[in-house]
Amino acid sequence: MPAGLDNLKHIVVLMMENRSFDHMLGALMKQDPRINGLRGTESNLDTSNEPARVQPQARFQGQLDPDPDHHFPAVHKQLYFGTTGPPAAPSMGGFVQSYHDQRQDVNHSRQIMFYFPPEKLPVLTTLARSYAVFNGWFSSIPGPTLCNRAFAHYGTSFGHVDMNLFYEKTPFLSIYDRMLKAGKTTKLYYYDRASSSLEVVNLLKNQPKIFATYPQFLEDCKRGELPDYSFVEPNYSDHLGEGGGEELASDQHPDHDVQAGEIFIASIYNAIRQNPDLWKSTALLIAYDEHGGIYDHVPPPACLADGFHATEQQTGVPGQPFAFDRLGVRVPAILVSPWVPKATVVPGTEDPANGRIFEHASIPATVTKQFLGTYDERSPREKAALTFLDLLSDTMRPEADCPVFNFA
Amino acid sequence: MAEPSNAIRIPKPSRSSFNMDRLLEKNSLLLNQVKHFLELEKTFPPEKRTGTDPKSITTEGRAAEYIRKMTDILHPKTAKSGGR
Repeated sequence: MPAGLDNLKHIVVLMMENRSFDHMLGALMKQDPRINGLRGTESNLDTSNEPARVQPQARFQGQLDPDPDHHFPAVHKQLYFGTTGPPAAPSMGGFVQSYHDQRQDVNHSRQIMFYFPPEKLPVLTTLARSYAVFNGWFSSIPGPTLCNRAFAHYGTSFGHVDMNLFYEKTPFLSIYDRMLKAGKTTKLYYYDRASSSLEVVNLLKNQPKIFATYPQFLEDCKRGELPDYSFVEPNYSDHLGEGGGEELASDQHPDHDVQAGEIFIASIYNAIRQNPDLWKSTALLIAYDEHGGIYDHVPPPACLADGFHATEQQTGVPGQPFAFDRLGVRVPAILVSPWVPKATVVPGTEDPANGRIFEHASIPATVTKQFLGTYDERSPREKAALTFLDLLSDTMRPEADCPVFNFA
Repeated sequence: MAEPSNAIRIPKPSRSSFNMDRLLEKNSLLLNQVKHFLELEKTFPPEKRTGTDPKSITTEGRAAEYIRKMTDILHPKTAKSGGR
């Protein structure tokens, strides 16, 4: 067993909101051709049949208003525009058309192709270049937030492709319940009382004891009291905080300020990084729940069917039921640990021989493998999901080789 | 003290970014989070309900106020500890 895995005591997952891989990290391909990002020539046709090219003109706020549609029918159009739909290969050609549906403004719809130059996202791009970036981490469903986040919590969405998730009498336990049952420690940290959790009707209602807040996360890191497994949620709204001060949404969900999310990511990283014992014994995964309707150039691959079935009434796409047998759009995902070799790029679909495909079911699959071992009562998708702790090596990188973030 | 060579400075967002009056209907995620809390509240006994009129939850700030009340009911530990 590599020393990195031998030393591992904690897994932390931070899940951000609604940004595609190419939008956030696609520009890194110019710095490192192993990263499957943008060449600069990718385009979609707009509604006047003119090509709308990718442009490094993404702004922190004010561009993606209204919130780009990312429910199942809209994502279907984004993926399969100009084709007959599945089982045909996704064209990735309908992002501009789909965004145009919302505001009927041709120029505005072209902004869905915009991406960030790396210097605008110093936190995310530094972490991607310093640790391990996944070329092939996909959202679990071509649909919205909650069914995708469900895969991170349960390894399945129990047949849901939408935002209405009431999991009564489900066949599989959440990863938190599994951990507690095995005598392990786990926490789901939400930002504060006014932001709360997205796991409202299931975990917060039924398992309040597993919840804590972001200030508690910082305190737990400082004191070295982090549980075995932690899941962190960002702030989902602009609101007044406990002391009456302004709390800026940090989830990066359009049209929230992307820079506030950068600071939040850096604060989670710093909290772990600044406790030497924690730093050498923790793996931090930063992932986005889904693409939020924003362009990515990589066609999502097929996957093992999950054993559930959504009817065409449930998907909202005539003639298109869904067997949970293909993934959603690609999202940014980065594994951080001093045991990860510098500038690791995990190949994805661009490398048929060595590429590895991850999705959110990889999260409970990895946590289960590390802390629980053999565990059969899981969804077919989770059982088939790849795990990622093999990226930890035998060598711990020196202090000076690992970045720290200072706030201006 | 000079910053170490591995230090990266992170700029602050613009102060004008903050907008509690952003319409809730513009953010499908927050809208659905509120919907879930409203659905859940319907299952509470009358004395435990927040008394919030769903029609009054029209902005992010209003959504946050309502979510805070519901979180305090569901997770009283953080309410008692002043948010921690």
